[in-house]
Amino acid sequence: MRQLFIILGLISAIFAVILAVLPLSNFAFFPAIAGLLFGILAFLKGRKENKPKHTIQLIFLLTIIALALATYKSITATTEVGNTEQLEQRDQESEENAIEELEDIDFTE
Amino acid sequence: MKHLFLFLALSFSLFSKAQNNAFQAGESLTFTAGYNMSGLMTDFAQVTMQTSEVKTSSSTLLRLKCKATTYSKWDNFFKIRDLYESYVNPNTLKPYLYKRDIDEGGHYKFVKYNFNHRTNTVKSLIRKKSKNFESGFWDRNANVKINSGTKDIVTTIYHVRSLDIKKAKVGAIDTFTVLFDGKETKCKFTYVAKETINTAIGSKECYKLRINLINNDALKGNDNLIWLTADENKVPVYAKFKLAVGNGELKIKSATGLKN
Repeated sequence: MRQLFIILGLISAIFAVILAVLPLSNFAFFPAIAGLLFGILAFLKGRKENKPKHTIQLIFLLTIIALALATYKSITATTEVGNTEQLEQRDQESEENAIEELEDIDFTE
Repeated sequence: MKHLFLFLALSFSLFSKAQNNAFQAGESLTFTAGYNMSGLMTDFAQVTMQTSEVKTSSSTLLRLKCKATTYSKWDNFFKIRDLYESYVNPNTLKPYLYKRDIDEGGHYKFVKYNFNHRTNTVKSLIRKKSKNFESGFWDRNANVKINSGTKDIVTTIYHVRSLDIKKAKVGAIDTFTVLFDGKETKCKFTYVAKETINTAIGSKECYKLRINLINNDALKGNDNLIWLTADENKVPVYAKFKLAVGNGELKIKSATGLKN
């Protein structure tokens, strides 16, 4: 059971770190919390059996990194649009072409 | 992104057809498109809807334009720069020319429809990038027969706003036809309720409408909804569509140049 918690905890923690790095950082909270829970369960199981705790420490470390990064990004994130120069150009060209094309159309219908 | 526009367009040809008293040239609506999972929201793009006047030597048309642009944090992962536009008669909102110029994560597609309302046909051009051709593009031209009243997706969004929804009763159902990807798609809409919701432009009383597509898998289930302000402007302030996990959302950010 302890092994299962460690594996699940490690997978969740790695997944949380990956999400925290991506623009999807808001969703890193789910696997990070799952990772923490699995880590705590593995820790409690291991304490009774007096087993080594290195992997559990790694799980805690990864989840804390993920949580810190996700929190930082959610506070500082700005929702600004990137470079739209090309789109504006396409927009303008498209209107010019459309006017040319619409010259021949009969609007009486 | 096309589902987003399709979803918006799938709002109805409701009830009595009123004169367009909902919008004018110079209107600009800005939305935030996002993904919501269990209350956690991630914004990924900005969508703008703008209207302007276009003059040819013989007449004046209304240009209806929708643009979608991903936020800068997404640009390195999946960059979207979409342009949808339609040139319509300002009085009847009949479309004459529709263009869709999309660039989504490196995937480019250009679609053009020239409407002929006398013969009820559409001359369609689909263009994609291809290395197999000298020009660098693969073109497909076709003539599509349409039903009278079929509109493109952008015109439909605006057409919905020109309708006299206030005369409709809760529970009213109607269908209408949109030409998308060279195919006519029928959709059913239901006027679900009148609700007051909080938006970035204030607390608004809205018409809540449910959208269902007939013979199309783009929008499944009964959780595809749109809220239009229950005033003369009928501004789409909020839209929600069901995805496999979580919901896609479109929230209004600003509205300028409103007619009323």
